[in-house]
Amino acid sequence: MLAFSVFAAAKVGFSLGAFGDVFTRPNPVARGLKNIRWGEMFSQRSRNAFLETLYLAVLGTLGGILLALPLSLWSTRIGNPYRIPRMILRAFNNVIRAFPDLLWAGLFVLGVGIGALPGFLALTFFSCAVMSKLTADTLDGIDLGPVEAANAAGAGHTQMLRTAIVPQILPAFSSFALYSFELNLRASVVLGFVGAGGIGQRLNFFRERGRLEAYEQMWGLVVMFFLVVFVVERLSVAIRRRLV
Amino acid sequence: MSSSASTQRPAGARVELPSKALDTFRLGLSTVVVAAVVWSWWSLDIKWGRLAAAPERMFRLARTMFSDLEWDKLGHLLGQMWASISMAWIGTLIGAVFALPLAFLAAENLVGRPVAWITRQFFNVIRAVPEIVLAMVFIPVFGLHPMAGVLAIGIHSIGSLGKLCYEIVEGIDRGPIEAADAVGASRIQRLRWAVVPQVAPELTSFMLYRFEINIRASAVLGVVGAGGIGTDLTEAIRFKEYGTAGLALIVVVVGTIAVDIVSGAVRRRIVAGPGGTSRGRRVDPTPELPDALAP
Repeated sequence: MLAFSVFAAAKVGFSLGAFGDVFTRPNPVARGLKNIRWGEMFSQRSRNAFLETLYLAVLGTLGGILLALPLSLWSTRIGNPYRIPRMILRAFNNVIRAFPDLLWAGLFVLGVGIGALPGFLALTFFSCAVMSKLTADTLDGIDLGPVEAANAAGAGHTQMLRTAIVPQILPAFSSFALYSFELNLRASVVLGFVGAGGIGQRLNFFRERGRLEAYEQMWGLVVMFFLVVFVVERLSVAIRRRLV
Repeated sequence: MSSSASTQRPAGARVELPSKALDTFRLGLSTVVVAAVVWSWWSLDIKWGRLAAAPERMFRLARTMFSDLEWDKLGHLLGQMWASISMAWIGTLIGAVFALPLAFLAAENLVGRPVAWITRQFFNVIRAVPEIVLAMVFIPVFGLHPMAGVLAIGIHSIGSLGKLCYEIVEGIDRGPIEAADAVGASRIQRLRWAVVPQVAPELTSFMLYRFEINIRASAVLGVVGAGGIGTDLTEAIRFKEYGTAGLALIVVVVGTIAVDIVSGAVRRRIVAGPGGTSRGRRVDPTPELPDALAP
């Protein structure tokens, strides 16, 4: 590990002196922090961008839920008795998970063009990846009693899943859904940087103008947005604690 | 007797189940969720017609990307992936160096409640700032240099590592602390001999886990120009060099999965100890859950 650290440090040109530079070099982006324009969030365009971000996060999570529930059921032994399809699904999940959210967004922007649609698709895939991983772990630990009971009562496979497994994982699953909503809300800041809609597009616009005034507006947006994220997170943590 | 009620029931009638108590919490939550979904659905300006065409277009994109990979760029891209991994590693180390002492200050069983509360809020605030915003702050200082990404990752990691760590520290066994106190250890000695040995394996494992997450983050930071393979990938996408973009994608995915596998194996070994027995601990400490679900 030590050797690896030394190699890595050399690779990125790491130096402790650089920490001093952080405070001494001129930094227009940070200077914008001194005079944040709080009102920026309430201007027409920023408000629309912000609402778009919220919509995207909600719908992206919904899409993720719809994909993740069957995917996670089919990738465990109880839900899918066939070995080969199960392994293929698991490999597929792993590949989805290896993509960061922004990569998904970039790809979808290339594929379907700029706008809210690639943002929606990116968030859907991203939250599907998060949720199916977490749910698959939960599925490994469920109580098999109800499954046996359902089989003994002559339930079909789907009936068995519906009555013996889904009720068991539902509280955990809804809490994962909330969690991935939080993640999506944060991720949607980034999406706009590649043209996938939402507040990031406004941020990027201000960033690329590169003037002090624009940075002040940018910080106004960033700080307000993260106040919202913070409140949503606290709420969601409270709800999740009640769910599980 | 008790079954007399059911014998009087006319044949074919449904059994009346006892009605469930009305759960206002669930009802309210479901209402809010449904309302949010409907509202978003109506307001979001998405051309849903394009969604139907999306699979075909994505397939066509994949074919363009992967049919004609630019193999001569492979060496350069592998070097950039290595740079991304290095960024993630150094960032994680910076995060760990700051997060560990702070985590002890955030554990209620080691310091007083007010101190712990302040440190925790500090973690919460840091965690809320995404790496990409931090990178934007550091880029004017370092230029388009990996160091900007390293610092962005490092600072963000302080928050998330700190949170994971203090939860572990709070779960330790009090026995060794009392023993250290009994033989007259100072505060530092107590920390060194009674606390650190108990938490070291888990903390190392969390650090490696954070490293896995940071690799994904460092791929993202390239978008604002903070170096690593993300820069190559975004530029290839921006200039529509599909062959390069496809190869970079393959490198990112294979590199990320490879690091995950290695680091996962190391984590399992660290937590399980030699011989692979779990000694009552969970074998795969995927701390996605503590991070996400612990209050």
